[in-house]
Amino acid sequence: MTQGRLFLSETGRIVMAAIFALAVTLIIIFFASKTPWATFETFVTSPLSSKRTIGIWIDDSVKLALAGLAFSLVFQARQFALGVQGQVYIGGLFATLVAFSPIGTTWLALPAGILAAMIGGAFIGFIPGYAKSKLGANEIVSSLMLNYIAYDICNYILRVYLASLESGLTTSAPFPAQSIYPAFIPRTRVDLGIVIALATTVVVWFLLYRTAWGLKLRLTGHNARFAAYSGIRSSFIMVSAMTAAGAIGGLLGAVFVQGTAYGKLSIGFEAGMAFEGILITIVARNRPLAIPFVALGYGYLRQGAALMNYRADVPAEVIGIVQGIVILLVASSFTVPGKAMLARLMGNRTAASRATS
Amino acid sequence: MNEIIATILSATFVAAVIRTTTPILFASLGGLLSDLVGSLNVALEGIMLIGALTAVIVSAHAPWYIGVLAGLAAGGFLGGVMALFHLRFKADIILVGFAINIIAAGGTVTVLTYATGGDKGTSINIPSKAVPALDLSFLGNIPAIGPFLREVLSGHSYLTWLAAFMVYAIWYFLYRTPEGLRFRAVGEYPPAAEAAGISPNRLRTYGLIASGCLAGLGGAQLAMFSFVGFTRDMTAGRGFIALGAVLLGRRHPIGTMIAAVLFGFFEALSIALPGILKWMPGELIHTIPFVVTVLALMLSSRRRVTA
Repeated sequence: MTQGRLFLSETGRIVMAAIFALAVTLIIIFFASKTPWATFETFVTSPLSSKRTIGIWIDDSVKLALAGLAFSLVFQARQFALGVQGQVYIGGLFATLVAFSPIGTTWLALPAGILAAMIGGAFIGFIPGYAKSKLGANEIVSSLMLNYIAYDICNYILRVYLASLESGLTTSAPFPAQSIYPAFIPRTRVDLGIVIALATTVVVWFLLYRTAWGLKLRLTGHNARFAAYSGIRSSFIMVSAMTAAGAIGGLLGAVFVQGTAYGKLSIGFEAGMAFEGILITIVARNRPLAIPFVALGYGYLRQGAALMNYRADVPAEVIGIVQGIVILLVASSFTVPGKAMLARLMGNRTAASRATS
Repeated sequence: MNEIIATILSATFVAAVIRTTTPILFASLGGLLSDLVGSLNVALEGIMLIGALTAVIVSAHAPWYIGVLAGLAAGGFLGGVMALFHLRFKADIILVGFAINIIAAGGTVTVLTYATGGDKGTSINIPSKAVPALDLSFLGNIPAIGPFLREVLSGHSYLTWLAAFMVYAIWYFLYRTPEGLRFRAVGEYPPAAEAAGISPNRLRTYGLIASGCLAGLGGAQLAMFSFVGFTRDMTAGRGFIALGAVLLGRRHPIGTMIAAVLFGFFEALSIALPGILKWMPGELIHTIPFVVTVLALMLSSRRRVTA
């Protein structure tokens, strides 16, 4: 299959996922709302209703894209490390510590904060990888446990060392101005985060598709045994993929706290967004270049749901149901009705294309 | 330190361990059944959460045992959904499981909002019922050890005793019945089982449904005994800890039970410690069960795996 046709078919899949998401939402709203059509209209149109909501949408998409990129790296290697949430909290914490250090008021504040966050996140990503390759501990459970541990550690440091009566007991003081991203459009959340997300997308794409490490990683993900036979040290790939994904998770933590949306550390600042990266990368089929588009699309739905919560009678949490159902539909062969028939008609060609995809 | 040891050895603490173990034990037995036939059920957390909410809402309108059965049925239904998507539509079991967790996190809050008329946090204004406690205070009449036994064993939920019985029942099923042998065979080496005329997918479906039912029971115990009523995200990682117990338990019901008791012990400890170690920050005490789970997994596996 040529690049062009691959692009078309992948785009088709993403559009399909979007249609599924809208259909599922519509069904839920019909059950949940007293005025379903008006509520659905709010859901679909409200993110574009003001400059401020557009800014929130873009900002959310930036964060969702980073979360998706972190998951895509480990999922490409077929490692189900689910520790992005913990990496975000540790990354956010480290970036905060830098912001309140003497460096926080110099021009080094942003790069140093980001670097610290990435190191912290990489460490949290490294632990389950190392535990799996050296000790055989299942990465799913250990990474999930680390999420809870990281959350508690972050809250502990925040409560004891950073929060004060003036700042409110659940947040730190605001960062110095040098430690907060410059906003590209005043009074919106459109800030440096966009550049970071796009640059990360390109870096992840380059690592996965233009380096030997990325090839080995993808081979390990496709068929670990084959990769091992061809001399790839799969345990090294496994640990390095989880560590690199951890660095992206940490970076996302920095984007959270240094972004104009916060500019400080708060309890639970991540608000469950890290896990939504799973949806992003599944719909994008772990392809880095597709992730920003999927993130924009899902970010829009997410923002619509949040506004529906305020302006209509349906709680924002319905987006969780939509999200789960879309994952179910996209991850299964159920997505494309008649796929089996298509495969039979196309014979080996589709089988071959599936192997290369 | 002495104070901690004294607490741990007290009858009330042992009773507390039994209470904290029960939901984890149900979920991990469920996880065991699906893991045995080759599908790791990462949705235990979400199924417990949905089971808990279902049990609470139904028990407001029906006797307590109907509430418990509803929790069980909701869990079984979700297990069936997982089997459908994993086996029929060929989705990856981990992704299916996580999709269920995500649906559970959002869906329970959504349903709770409607059931309570706008409260997104707790089901405090729903008159839900509790599972009755089994009164064994007659044990106190036994000389010498009587009072201790009464303290430890009396006053637990009916479901605690059911959980203990399930350990035996599952052991009996797996090691003393032909169907149990088939179950284990599918888990060991599916092609051999298939060659012997056993359909792995049929048993995997049963395994997932049974695991959903048990996790649903765990949720019911959590929301109808451990706490009365539902709170947002009330499972708080117990389903994932249960998954750790499955992996730690060496695919055996007794091993799984021991692991579940171990995690129950540390959960009870994290509840008891704030009263004893006043200097220790609550957040760090709260991490104890999770830290123990990670360490237990690291120390027990001792087996190099390749990707």
